[in-house]
Amino acid sequence: MALLGAAAAVGTAARAGPAQDYALHCMGCHGANAQGVPGKVPPLAHSLVRFMNNPAGRRYVLRVPGAANSMLSDAQLAAVLNWVVAQFDAGELGAGTPQFGEQEVAASRHTPMAGVLATRAAVLKEIAAGGPAPSSGY
Amino acid sequence: MQRLDRLFESSARSLAQRTSRRSFIGVLGRILTGSLLVPLLPIDRIHRAEAASGPEGSPAAAQRVPAAAKGKSTTKAYTEDQQSCDYWKYCAIDGFLCSCCGGSSHTCPPGTQQSVVSWIGTCHNPADGRDYIVSYNDCCGKASCGNCDCYRNERERPLYRLSRNNDVNWCMANTGSDYHCTVSVILGSAGP
Repeated sequence: MALLGAAAAVGTAARAGPAQDYALHCMGCHGANAQGVPGKVPPLAHSLVRFMNNPAGRRYVLRVPGAANSMLSDAQLAAVLNWVVAQFDAGELGAGTPQFGEQEVAASRHTPMAGVLATRAAVLKEIAAGGPAPSSGY
Repeated sequence: MQRLDRLFESSARSLAQRTSRRSFIGVLGRILTGSLLVPLLPIDRIHRAEAASGPEGSPAAAQRVPAAAKGKSTTKAYTEDQQSCDYWKYCAIDGFLCSCCGGSSHTCPPGTQQSVVSWIGTCHNPADGRDYIVSYNDCCGKASCGNCDCYRNERERPLYRLSRNNDVNWCMANTGSDYHCTVSVILGSAGP
């Protein structure tokens, strides 16, 4: 997952919430419908929510370079992730699954992840054991 | 009157005794050369633009921008000429303008494909005083156009801030990754 792979030249616009943050910080690579680019950029639709329903998956999405190194604050990053799931996959969110919060983001994003592919593969395997898994091959 | 004449005469003679015509020409030459070089000195446009628009993301920033853009808004290139690098929605572009390459400001020239990933930023439109979200997509699959090279990259950050750097070939995720030119597609209005 390479959330926030594209750039944003924010400056003149006032903060307008997670929808605009998604447009400026994520959409350049992940696309207007969070569909990604097959084989190049992982989708967030039908994918992020599956990470979100799993504790290891939650830590993973907060540590991928695009998310962890983004210019968004912890609270803004949490809000964008929650917005993406609400926008594209509200129906798949587990009944007891909490939303991302500022403190959870702060606790995970600052721990560097050396092997993104290996970590993703391990997390996908764990999620697949309990239900539908996010897209593989990234 | 004679006293005034004597005063000027004595001061002129004194100056002539103390200095040579050659030294005067030398000093004058240095002044002229120095004044010609002043416009060539580097100017921190980024800092000035940020100072005018306020801290990033502040509500006051959006309100102050129209005043900051007032000077620019009087130029036709800034408001109307889509083949000019000064055109308002090119504020964060880095590449050849597709409007000079057989396409338009927002459509790729025939024979090229729009990049599937892009740089997205915001620009201020002086016509209505609003900020807009603009996607800068590269057009891919043909060799570089070479016309109307436009490098503005307002609010770009150095390469170590990769998510805020535009020195990227956005054709990288396309099948044909040759870069031809860049379009500026308005995605919507920015701000609250």
